[in-house]
Amino acid sequence: MVKMRLLFKELAEDRPLLRKMAQRTAWISGVFALFLSVLLILNYLQFKTHDPLHSPALTQLMQQLQSDSENQALKEQIRALDLLARKAFFIHQWQLRTGSFLLLVSIILMLSAIKYLRSLERILPSFDSKAATDELLLDRLSSRRLVIWSGAALVLLAFVAGLLSENQLKDPKAVELAKTGPSLEELRQNWPHFRGPDTNGHAYADSLPTTWNGSSGEGILWKVKSPKPGFNSIIVWGSKLFFSGADEQTQSLYCLDVTNGNTIWEREIKDVPGHPSELPDVTKDTGFAAPTCATDGQNLYTLFANGDIACVDLQGNFIWSKNLGLPKNHYGHSSSLVTYNDLLLVQYDHGESKSLLALRKSNGKTAYQTKRNDVQLSWASPLLVQGSGRDEIILSATPFVIAYHPSTGKEIWRNKCMDGEVAPSPAYAAGRVFVVNEYARLAAIDIANPSIPLWIYEEDLSEVSSPVANDELVFMPSSYGTLTCLDALTGVKQWSHDFDTGFYSSPIIAGDTIYLMDLKGVTHLIKAAREYQLIGENALGESAVTIPAFMTGRIYIRGDEHIYCIGS
Amino acid sequence: MKKWIFISLLLFVSLSFTQVLQRFPKPDFQSGYERPVMQTPAPRSLVLEYLDVGVLLLVLSLTTYFAHRRRSRRLIFTMMIFSIAYFGFFRKGCICPVGSVQNVVYSFFNADYVIPLTVVLFFLLPLIFTLFFGRTFCAAVCPLGAVQDVVVVKPLSLPKWLSSVLSLFPFIYLGFAVLFASVGAGFIICRYDPFVGFFRLSGSFNMIFLGGFLLLLGTIVARPYCRFLCPYGVLLNWFSRLSRRHVRITPSVCINCRLCEASCPFDAIHKPTTAEIPEDKIVLVRRIILICILLPLMMVSSGWMISRLYVPLASVHPVVSLAEEIKLEDSGLRTEVSDATQAFRAAGKSTADLFAEAHAVQQKVKTGGWILGGFLGLIFGFKLIRLTAYRRYSEYEIDQGDCLSCGRCFSYCPVDKNGQTIIRLNTEVT
Repeated sequence: MVKMRLLFKELAEDRPLLRKMAQRTAWISGVFALFLSVLLILNYLQFKTHDPLHSPALTQLMQQLQSDSENQALKEQIRALDLLARKAFFIHQWQLRTGSFLLLVSIILMLSAIKYLRSLERILPSFDSKAATDELLLDRLSSRRLVIWSGAALVLLAFVAGLLSENQLKDPKAVELAKTGPSLEELRQNWPHFRGPDTNGHAYADSLPTTWNGSSGEGILWKVKSPKPGFNSIIVWGSKLFFSGADEQTQSLYCLDVTNGNTIWEREIKDVPGHPSELPDVTKDTGFAAPTCATDGQNLYTLFANGDIACVDLQGNFIWSKNLGLPKNHYGHSSSLVTYNDLLLVQYDHGESKSLLALRKSNGKTAYQTKRNDVQLSWASPLLVQGSGRDEIILSATPFVIAYHPSTGKEIWRNKCMDGEVAPSPAYAAGRVFVVNEYARLAAIDIANPSIPLWIYEEDLSEVSSPVANDELVFMPSSYGTLTCLDALTGVKQWSHDFDTGFYSSPIIAGDTIYLMDLKGVTHLIKAAREYQLIGENALGESAVTIPAFMTGRIYIRGDEHIYCIGS
Repeated sequence: MKKWIFISLLLFVSLSFTQVLQRFPKPDFQSGYERPVMQTPAPRSLVLEYLDVGVLLLVLSLTTYFAHRRRSRRLIFTMMIFSIAYFGFFRKGCICPVGSVQNVVYSFFNADYVIPLTVVLFFLLPLIFTLFFGRTFCAAVCPLGAVQDVVVVKPLSLPKWLSSVLSLFPFIYLGFAVLFASVGAGFIICRYDPFVGFFRLSGSFNMIFLGGFLLLLGTIVARPYCRFLCPYGVLLNWFSRLSRRHVRITPSVCINCRLCEASCPFDAIHKPTTAEIPEDKIVLVRRIILICILLPLMMVSSGWMISRLYVPLASVHPVVSLAEEIKLEDSGLRTEVSDATQAFRAAGKSTADLFAEAHAVQQKVKTGGWILGGFLGLIFGFKLIRLTAYRRYSEYEIDQGDCLSCGRCFSYCPVDKNGQTIIRLNTEVT
């Protein structure tokens, strides 16, 4: 120990030796630090490009699992890969920690050595006084100029930035940019979609008729024969009423005058590019023209069971058509069309290709196609929620109810609550979505917190007919004739009533009255209240499965054989 | 002491790469399992807060003593290491007087905010010491300054024109920090503190990168953050100019030996000037008058320009930012839903109220922009006047505003307290 002390003492007194040692230490530790830095940077970049926690292979397997949730082998594979990813992650962490520590030691050594070397030096001034005076003058001149120029540059920068900035909160221009369709008010003055302007079974018309009889003609303003079969419902814009019809040979669009039922025009949809040579699989309950048309007040859009989709203007002039591909759908395609701003939205779930498709209304070109391969076939129509915050298009299928942004098709949320072959479309009121299917459940989803259903209900479920809701209550008809009323917030059953005939048509709420037409064409008027109260029953005189269209003072119904205008 | 230096350096450099460590993502439970409610740590007890104030007072006093009475760079350096360890790593850089400016400003404009006394003391104590003794706080008490000082290896003297322009940036930074704090948009000094990531062993990539860059730059440009960014340094600079007992290069009388001329890494030593002003006096007077005439115009024009930036500036405010997000989502121009908008919608609050509140914030920022622009115009004008007017120096003098009282120049002076010239051999400078 004494020897060691003596050695250090000698060393401390030997400045040249210390200087030499410091120089070598500085060089060696500096080079080592540089080497470590490069290694750490490379390691970091490698981690960024191949992040084990976001492995594409793992993501792909997870997606597979969503559609095949019972596959045990797949689960084991995912677990093994996940374990590997975790190991890789923690090894990377260890490398970073160790590397950082070594880097730290080498930097400290280098800094200490350099600082020691610097401490042996003195910084001495230069002795050129003339040059110093000239320099002072020049420095001041340069400084003034630079301060002026930098100030001017900052002002200019602020000016340009001010010009480029746009106040989105004040100027609605940017917000309205994407909105090229009719306003919500315009939509609600008409009946442009399946299940009305909001696609949720709400009618905004007033002075609606409450009594009629199709057989006797009481309350019937006019009645015309359906020119061609079709289970699509009537839509109305202004004084024109539209529907489609199709059989094995032809498919057509029809426009009637709402005042007298006269045909204004009829347009056969033919020569559709990509039209399939074979007929689609359909049942007699669905037919070749089940999807309801849609209109935006400018054009009319229609879709048939073979995937032919077409656009004509409201005068019947052809604009565009195309084929979406023959749907592989064992009952026949039935999902209806919805317009949104400059887009036509199609829930095209068939065969192996399930997707939300958005076409440009102007030319039919695909704006986006969002694949939905983790859901099964569906016959439901989309629900468009708009006008109360963020717009969403909500699609129901097994096993997921999924909300997308209608402008982009990007998924917003999903909830796994459906089962079976889904035909009923979702209902919506007061921020809550209601989805149902027979052998599954009726589920209420709060769209602000959609991960877990608010409640579920599992009795007397609907098979075809869609539910309808207001702020307080949900009404669900079944195909065997039971109408159930539940509290919308809690799911507690308020009442149920068994009718003699079942329902395929869906209920419509107009004010505090529910209009619900059964399979025999009898429309039941029921009070939308916590207690069952029948207001009236009106027979059409023929069977019907479509949904009536409600305009001020009038109701338009498509029976199996005729089109009816009810009013006074 | 070397051991202390070693340990402190070890701690500070090791943080450079800690930011890249990522946490494992939380599992996404589908089973209905509810995660426990987030617990926020209890605030630091009041006793410990006052202990911090006590430590600040003690370190300020010791540093001032070491700088003024002992004139020892080594002791000042020791205090630096202590400050890095205590205010930096132990207290994790918070609260620091630099950021406390914002608390003080916020308390002036927000009646609901009660500023803690300890924060006020953290803000005031360095200013009071500076007013009497110069920037001894910067010398060794501020952890941000200390951490830069220990990495100074081979400082270069920057050209005057460059440092003249760069020295305006602290005013701009201070101006914006005050504007944002006054409208409640946030504390940007803390948000963009380049060194706090090192002290806390974590931070965003940008924060660590900026800190690392400044430290690397600091090896050749001494204390770049203190000189060209620190907003609190603006106040300290002003107060230091008024100090009556500022440190001096010589303990007695300057003999103009020039030995200290290049000793200051911050270029804060004025050389003696020649008897004659190298420019025509009439030209100088005219120039100053012109600047004075243009000064109001500069203030108004820059005020107008910055007030026009109220939209992007107000976007920093969380309410405005949320309103813009809501608007974009509602209009379909943005599809990704943020946590903030989800929480807002879940709370069931009115978007109309949100937009009204956001609009009110924008108007405040607009007004603040006028004031900020006027202030910056004034600063630029004064800078031009300062660069025009000449001041005579008969000996080597410290620039009281810019001098950080680091004590490097002390050992260069060959004159002792009694005015006797002494010759030092092999004197080490830390």
